Amino acid sequence: MQIGIFSVGDVTPDPTTGRTPTENERIKATVAIAQHAEEVGLDVFATGEHHNPPFIASNPTATLAFIGARTERIILSTATTLITTTDPVLIAEDYAKIQHLLDGRVDLMMGRGNTGPVYPWFGKDIRQGINLAVENYGLLRRLWTEDVVDWEGRFRTPLQGYTSTPRPLDGVPPFVWHGSIRSPEIAEQAAYYGDGFFHNHIFWPAAHTQQMVELYRRRFEHYGHGPADTAIVGLGGQFFMRPNSQDAVDEFRPYFDNAPVYGHGPSLEDFTEATPLTVGSPQQVLERTLSFREYVGDYQRQLFLVDHAGLPLKTVLEQLDLLGEILPAMRAGFAEGRPAHVPDAPTHASLLAKAEAAALQEVSA
Amino acid sequence: MTGIVVVSAGLSVPSSTRLLADRLTEATTAALGEAEVTRIELRDLAHQLTDRLLTGFATGELAEAIEAVRGADGLVVVTPVYSGSYSGLFKTFVDVLEPGALDGKPVLIAATAGTARHSLVLDHALRPLFSYQRAVVVPTGVFAATDDFGDAGLEDRIQRAAGELAALAGKVDASGTAHRRRSVDDELADPTPFEELLRRASQA
Repeated sequence: MQIGIFSVGDVTPDPTTGRTPTENERIKATVAIAQHAEEVGLDVFATGEHHNPPFIASNPTATLAFIGARTERIILSTATTLITTTDPVLIAEDYAKIQHLLDGRVDLMMGRGNTGPVYPWFGKDIRQGINLAVENYGLLRRLWTEDVVDWEGRFRTPLQGYTSTPRPLDGVPPFVWHGSIRSPEIAEQAAYYGDGFFHNHIFWPAAHTQQMVELYRRRFEHYGHGPADTAIVGLGGQFFMRPNSQDAVDEFRPYFDNAPVYGHGPSLEDFTEATPLTVGSPQQVLERTLSFREYVGDYQRQLFLVDHAGLPLKTVLEQLDLLGEILPAMRAGFAEGRPAHVPDAPTHASLLAKAEAAALQEVSA
Repeated sequence: MTGIVVVSAGLSVPSSTRLLADRLTEATTAALGEAEVTRIELRDLAHQLTDRLLTGFATGELAEAIEAVRGADGLVVVTPVYSGSYSGLFKTFVDVLEPGALDGKPVLIAATAGTARHSLVLDHALRPLFSYQRAVVVPTGVFAATDDFGDAGLEDRIQRAAGELAALAGKVDASGTAHRRRSVDDELADPTPFEELLRRASQA
């Protein structure tokens, strides 16, 4: 089980002080948060991609490479890479490059993005969102798996005899997760390729997440990648904790009430009930997180949103400390009752071993 | 059995909008012989509607109401007139329906207002709104100004509109409409195979 955090990189005023961090502070804070995530023992740090204020999450490759140079062990990922508006040739090259620099500690999560104008800004048509995701990803895969590519499509200029460089590390492309909240077509895409499926989960009711994951698992089996319960599933999550649960509620409420995503809407209590958001003691967060399996089955990756809504860096780092304290119990809880045939999340090492075993089999056959 | 969903957007209690909705419901049920009626009072859902706008998902009774509308054989919708048009609450409910939810669905439109001067609201506001939703709007809309509640003509219009709705709701199967849009739920139940998605992606 991989446990980590994902960030959207929002620059939001702290509602308790009225102070807005500068872009520079927020960018540096992202690095500090990622480093601390490794220090407390988390497995994954993932950053989003946005191309508009109030976010500082553009250019995730630079961010991830910089963090990679300052960390040793943690897997770095995107959450998400905009497969609709970013040239798949650049994605192929950029992430193969950081895969080399980080010795394979990188994977990607593909997404369509949630900001409408990003499409026209990058010369794309939002009505073609699904088609762009389908065609662009198809090309990206070929660029990573075939040394020389001849390609012609609808949305990008053709390629003749093109070799994407550098080639993926050890000939093994980064593992890809497909992130989607509400588009069954994307779960279908993940299932078709046998890639991972990540449901953002936060801000959405459990029943909704469950439907999407079920579809992905069913179709993963349909496309012959193995039984449904061996499909590779990731989930988002969201918490705010303090040793005393009432302190957590009191401290988080002004952030919740003013958050750009859900502020001025449902009460903290209603939202907590309807979505995975858990505000309370570490024990409550632990129990709630382990309960996610009840509706998605045994899964491979759990990422939490910790830094948003104007929470100061100091508080975010404290949240990571508290997460670190319950991490052993969370790992043990996820391991409990988990069938032996349910795989772990793929890593560069496991994908390489699999590729080598397949090559060996081919030689002996 | 034919399933009729009645959406009423009145805010006061008791409400003349609800009163008109009840009379339309009775007349529709009588015209159909038997019907399963689900009543949706938007006042009760006002908070959840605002939450839905801000969070992007519906919960509880609102989720049930949306599901009921999606599955209905016919709709009766009644709104008070505010600022020359349907009320904001009424529009919000229409706004949170998924595109395609009303495709080919028979809808009886009705409105209440203080005076007869608002009577064109049906044809200038409600009919275009439901045309945009690709609903089948019954020819007779029912407008009731306060004065109309003392006038026998209102009952005639109610009967005529209810008869039209009953005829459409009994005969038209919305799921069989030629170009009904696929919803997320349809896709979850029966996904478009990826080979088809690939084929579509490359089509100009």
